[in-house]
This record gives sequence, C-alpha cells and structure tokens, in this order.
Amino acid sequence: MRRFLVIRFLQALLALWVITIIVFGLSHLTGSPIDALLPDDASPEQIDNLIRHWGLDRPYHVQYLTFLGNALQGDFGESLKWRGQSALGVVLQRLPATLQLGGLAILISVVVAIPLGVMAAVRKGTTLDASANVIALLGQSLPTFWLGIILIWVFAVGLGWLPTSGYGGITYMILPAVAMAWFQIAALTRLTRSAMLEVLDAEYVKLARLKGVPEWQIVWKHALRNAAIVPLTYFGVLAGSILTGSVVIETVFAWPGTGWLAIEAIRGRDFPVVQTVVLVFAVVYLGLNFIVDALYAYVDPRIRYD
Amino acid sequence: MPTNRNHLTRRALAGVAALAIIATLGLPAVAQTADRVVIALDPPSTETNRFWTTSGGFGGIDPAFERLVGNDPVTGAYDNSGLAERWEVSDDFTSWTFYIHPEAEFHFGWGPVTAADVAHSHALHSGPDSTLTGVQSLRGAEIEIIDDKTIRFTFEEPRIDFDFANAGRGSLYIYSKAQYDAEGLEGYDRQPAGTGHYQYVESSPGQIVFARVEDHWSGFQPDFAELEFRFTNEAATKLALLLSGEAHAANLPRELQDEALADGKVIISSQNPGKQVVLIPNGLYQSEGDPAHKPDLPWADIRIREAMNRALDRDTIVDAIFAGRAEKLVRYGMHEPHEGFAPELVERFEEMYGYDPERAKELLAEAGYPDAFPDPVIPIISTVSPGSPEYPTLAELVQIYFEEVGFQTEIREMDWASVGAAGRGRAAYFINPVQNSPIRPSNVALSNTFLPTGSPYHGYEDDRIIELTNEVNRTLDTEAREALIREAFSYVYEQYADMPMVSLAAEIVVDPEVIAGWTYPGVTSNGFSHWQLIEAAGQ
Repeated sequence: MRRFLVIRFLQALLALWVITIIVFGLSHLTGSPIDALLPDDASPEQIDNLIRHWGLDRPYHVQYLTFLGNALQGDFGESLKWRGQSALGVVLQRLPATLQLGGLAILISVVVAIPLGVMAAVRKGTTLDASANVIALLGQSLPTFWLGIILIWVFAVGLGWLPTSGYGGITYMILPAVAMAWFQIAALTRLTRSAMLEVLDAEYVKLARLKGVPEWQIVWKHALRNAAIVPLTYFGVLAGSILTGSVVIETVFAWPGTGWLAIEAIRGRDFPVVQTVVLVFAVVYLGLNFIVDALYAYVDPRIRYD
Repeated sequence: MPTNRNHLTRRALAGVAALAIIATLGLPAVAQTADRVVIALDPPSTETNRFWTTSGGFGGIDPAFERLVGNDPVTGAYDNSGLAERWEVSDDFTSWTFYIHPEAEFHFGWGPVTAADVAHSHALHSGPDSTLTGVQSLRGAEIEIIDDKTIRFTFEEPRIDFDFANAGRGSLYIYSKAQYDAEGLEGYDRQPAGTGHYQYVESSPGQIVFARVEDHWSGFQPDFAELEFRFTNEAATKLALLLSGEAHAANLPRELQDEALADGKVIISSQNPGKQVVLIPNGLYQSEGDPAHKPDLPWADIRIREAMNRALDRDTIVDAIFAGRAEKLVRYGMHEPHEGFAPELVERFEEMYGYDPERAKELLAEAGYPDAFPDPVIPIISTVSPGSPEYPTLAELVQIYFEEVGFQTEIREMDWASVGAAGRGRAAYFINPVQNSPIRPSNVALSNTFLPTGSPYHGYEDDRIIELTNEVNRTLDTEAREALIREAFSYVYEQYADMPMVSLAAEIVVDPEVIAGWTYPGVTSNGFSHWQLIEAAGQ
C-alpha cells in the first residue's frame, strides 16, 4: 500500500512538472502580453520599458527556470491585468468562489445522480428508468453554456425567482451550480445504474433475498456499497470537470471565481495569472485523483502494487 | 385510496413549498433600491485603481475622478467643467497654464485640489511604469507651481493638443497628493480619493460601487444616490440583467438591442459620433527604402484598392450590421468640428467610393487580377476588439462583397493583440478593421494613422503623407494648418488608402422606468462619461 502511494505521488509530481512546461510554453506561444497591455500608440520607449520590467527580453529557458524557481517558493509573479496584486493572490482571492460553486455542483450531482441511478437499476425497464436515461442523454448532449443561458432566461428573466448572475448567497449559486452539475448528473447516473445492474444480479444478492433481508437493505446497504466503487473512481474526473466547467459557467453567470478569472487573464494575456490558474487547477485535480487512487486501493486490494 | 390521495397531497404540498422557498430566497436578490442605478458593462481591460497603469481606456473608476479640462455634455467642446476653471496657452503652444477651481476638493476629507496635486498626478501618469495611451503628450514637461491654484507646463516643442491630453480621452486623472503622502499607493488601491460627482465606495470582482458626493464642489448633485457598475463579458447575460431589472442600463451589442427594445427599453445615444470605423489595407509600408514594403501585394495597386471600395454596398452594411443607426464615413480621421474638414470629399463620395460592382470588376481586369499577382488571396481579419462586437460580422459581409466582384479571399481569425503585434513587427499584410474612438483631433488622427510611429493597426505609409503629417505637426498658424490637414485628407482619399465604413454614436440601452435620460457627448474611449447627468425617472 505504501509503495503504491509513493509511486502515485511521484507520478503526480512528474505530471505537475510536465504541466508547468506546457503551460509556460503555451502561454508564451500565444504572443507577447505587451500587445494586450499597451495602447495602440505605445512608443518604442514604453514597449522597451515594459519588456524589461517583465523580463521578456531574456531567453525562454531562463524565463522558464526563473518561473519554476519562483513558483516553488509560491511566487508566480505580478499580475499584468490586476495591477499591484500578485498572480497567486489574485487566484487565491477567487478560488473560494469556485470551490463554493463547485462544491454545490458536486453535492447536487451526487444527491441527484446516485439515487436516480440506483432507482433506475432497481426499476429497470420502467418509466423511471426511461426518465433517468432521458435525463442522462440530455445532460450529456446539451452544451453547458447554452443550458446556463436557458436557465437564466427561464428562472431569472421569465419567472424572476433567482438572480441572473453575479456573486452572492445561495440564490446566486443555484442556477450556475445546476448548469454545472447537469452533465455530471448524466454521467454519474449512467455509471451508477450500470454498476448497480451488475451487482443486483450477483449471487450474494440473490442469497440475501432468499434469506429474507428487506429489499431496501439489499439495495441501499449491500448492493450500493459494492457498486459504489465505480462512481467513486469517477469522482476524480468529476472534480476535474467541475473545475474546467467553471471556466464556461462562471463566464456566463459572471461568477467571480477562477474560471472567469482564467478567461479574463487569457483575454488580457496576463500569463502569470493564466499559469497560476492552470497550476492551481492541476494541483487540485492531481490531489483529488491521488486521494481517489488511495481510496480505490483501500477498497480494492487487488490493484495495489505490493 | 385515501392513503394514496394523502400521499399525493403531501407530495404536491412539498412541491409548492419548495417552489415557495426558492421564490422567497430569490426575491431579495432581484429587488433593487430605486436610489441605486446599476449599469452592466464589459469588464475594463485592466482592473486597478492606478489609472496610469492602464492603457487609458475606460478604467472603471471614472465616475470618481476628474481631469483638468472638461467636455461640454452636448457638444463635447472643451470647457471648465473639469478641475481647471480656465487655462492659457502661449502663442507658440509651448507653455500651458492652468488655473484650478478654488472650490475643487477631494473626497473623504483629503482637502482642496492644489497645483501640487496636479504635479504629483502628472509625475505618476508620465512615469516609467505608465502604460497610458497618449503618455507622450504628457512627457517632457517642465512644471512650475505658480501658486496653490496655478500650474504651468512648459515644453521644448509646441504641444498643440495639450488640452486634448487633459480632457475626456486624456491621460491625466487628478489624484490627491495628501492621500499619497499619508497612505502611499496602497491608499489608492483601498479607497482612491478623486474629485468627481461620485466617490468610490467599494469594489469586488465584477462590481464597483460609488456613492453620490453630497455638496459636491461644483454645486451639482446627481439624481442617483449610488452608482454601480456590474461587469460581465457575456452579452446574453447583460441582456438578462437588463430584462430582469437587476441592471437599469447595459451596453448591448446591436444584435441584442431589438430584444431589449421589444421589452420597452430605450436606447440613449451619445450626442455626437463617438467613433469611426474603417477597414485598413494594411502592410503598405511604401516609404522609400522601407524593407517591409511588398510591392506585389494585390492592394499595393491603387486600382485594387479602388475596386475594394467599389465592391462594398455601404448602405446595406449600415442596415445589416449597424441596424441603420450609423452614418456612412467619408474620410477616416476627418470630423466636421475638427480642423481640415473638406466638404468636397463628402460631395464626391458617391462618385469616388460609391457601390459599383461593375466598375470594381473592370478595375480588377485592368490590374490583371488575379494572374498578375503572385498571391492574389486577400486575407480579411476577423477579430474582436473591446467595444466593437461587429467586427466578425463585418469581415464576413465584406468577404461576400469582395468575392462577388471576383476577389479571392480568406477569413483569418486573430485576436486583437495579435493584429497589433503584426503591425508592430511591420508584417501586417492583411485587411483589418480599426476604429478611431473617440474621434481624435485631426492632427492626432493623421499621426496615429499614417506615421510609422503611429498605431500598428494602420499600415498605409508613403513619403508624401508622412511629409504632410509631419508638416501639420510642425505648423502653428491656424490657416496654414487647416490647409495642410485638408490637403492630407484629400491625398489619402485620392489614394484609396483605406475603406471608410461608418461613423457611430455610443449607445446604451436603458430601462426608462428608472432612467429618464442621460446627456453625454461621446468623447471617451467607450463613449460613456458624465455619469452625474444620468437622470432618474419620476424626479
């Protein structure tokens, strides 16, 4: 178990290092921030000043090594768009909003998808099962930005029940969280349903029925416990999707989290912030997957290396 | 059966209760106080309270700050509604003296505005970390504080447009030196003290709130007690904010305005055109010996440039893209209230530039297009520039018109900064849109457009227009300048140096039940200003 965890941890570190190279390379390949930051009529002197100030006149490998060295100390540079603030400070300031929204979206996904998937498996072939399939189909085929706009239109503009956009309490979170969760509900429902179908057909379930164990106990206690390993492994993907999904949803709902920040930073070629957002996302994603791997190894001893 | 009925009743009640909870939770969010006017806008390009580190466009803190020179809300003419009650300029335009309003004072008790505040602000705005547009017109000044309320800027060379540099589209907000001395730049970050009719209250990501200054030094009091900017990139969300009543005004792209109008909202336009839009046949670096000059570009041939102009049905473009609310532009940079307006160019426009696809085809044949050119394909840039959501549609429509007369074209998607980067690298060999926003003084527009040191989004250069523009900048005599500017405009008009498209007013869509009117001249980068003149309905 320990060896497995060490190997997984080293793999995560390697992935993170590769990500730093990709992020640094891509953000510099998209062009110089000078063109986004300076006015149309910037003088050569202004351009030179800014290039020197941001160290853009140094070779790429020197810039990368400086970036990596500073990043290891938690210094991702100064934001080019949010002047006077550090890139990490800007990202950390916005991160709670994304975690709030993502947390609610995950909660909605789990609370809706697991029971729906279980019930669809238990009542296979019924209207409930068909409905769950339709929900899954819609969830996986509707673009989230479109769904977000439709939700705004129906519940904020049409019915006036909820605010259209912006940051605030729970009322501001409902629509973006639902829009974000919808795709995950679809995926998680299908996974849970198929896992439950397999487990419900197992010999030990039949034996439990013969022994007279109440049906609700068979389903929710014995079958779900064994079927849960499939949705559990999906949890890492789910969390990652919620983070990346926040880029679209936060922009549509003007939710001031890291997703919206990423879009704004990309538009402004604020590459210190872009790099920080991506690396923070990567760390969160890799961290969650590491936890999932650990849990998976704990639940299923067969996959341990030792 | 009774059990089933009870079960159904319970479920129905639970459903109603859930809806009621959602509705109740939602109500406070939707309700707005009548004293606060909320305006949904595009986010500023740089979010900071340090104006000098922005590119000088709309910075978000505009309602809290003032410049030395004001603009009349109707005509846009320079006036003393800014911090200077009057100013004097020497005959040779090298010395400008400003007299500050005796009553002018900063917010939050930071005291009266003095010449020292102006000098301090000038130092910040013209310093090495300034990224402002037009910062060159601030630099090089020798500053003399005559007394508490009088300051003189002296330059080695004439600064004819120093008033422009200090007015609506100018580069100098006046900050409090006293606040800086006491709190440093962090004080500006936390609560910047300006002198505007609204004072800064707070900002959070996506939002800035201002409060009315009671007993403002000017004696004018805005109708609304609070002003809030709500920033969102997504146009559909801005429309939703307006229709739901959460925002009372929004700068919507034209394709979404009809939906707002159908809901009873109204458009308030700037009093004057706020910008000119043009298509640039870029990459024509034709000065003697310029290594970037490519004579075999199709549009290096004047007949091709005329054909491009003849291929465009501007009336249809105005209707299709600008909902009919635009005027056909005759000469980019030329504006009737400014120097060098040439009415003969207006009179000859249809004859020279009018829609004539047959003539365009003849011109292409005369020029031997496409066979005479090694690469006959015309690349048209599809891009998005802040405040100009129409550019991609414009590119597609222009492509259709070009291909109708026989041009081979391709659309190239490019972000706005990359267009500028290509220009700075003197490799902008394509057709790109650009805007003159706000409409600058004629000599500034000429310098931006035709000098190699000007805007990288323009690329028509030849020795004659460079010489004329430099001559304009050297000339102080009013009549001589008028004649020179007119000659410059006529020259590039004859050369078909670009494809003039439209002249547009700034527009904002408002809820008439909350906002009764707003008079603003259209003299800033996004066209909006004079926030204190937003009139509340029912006052």
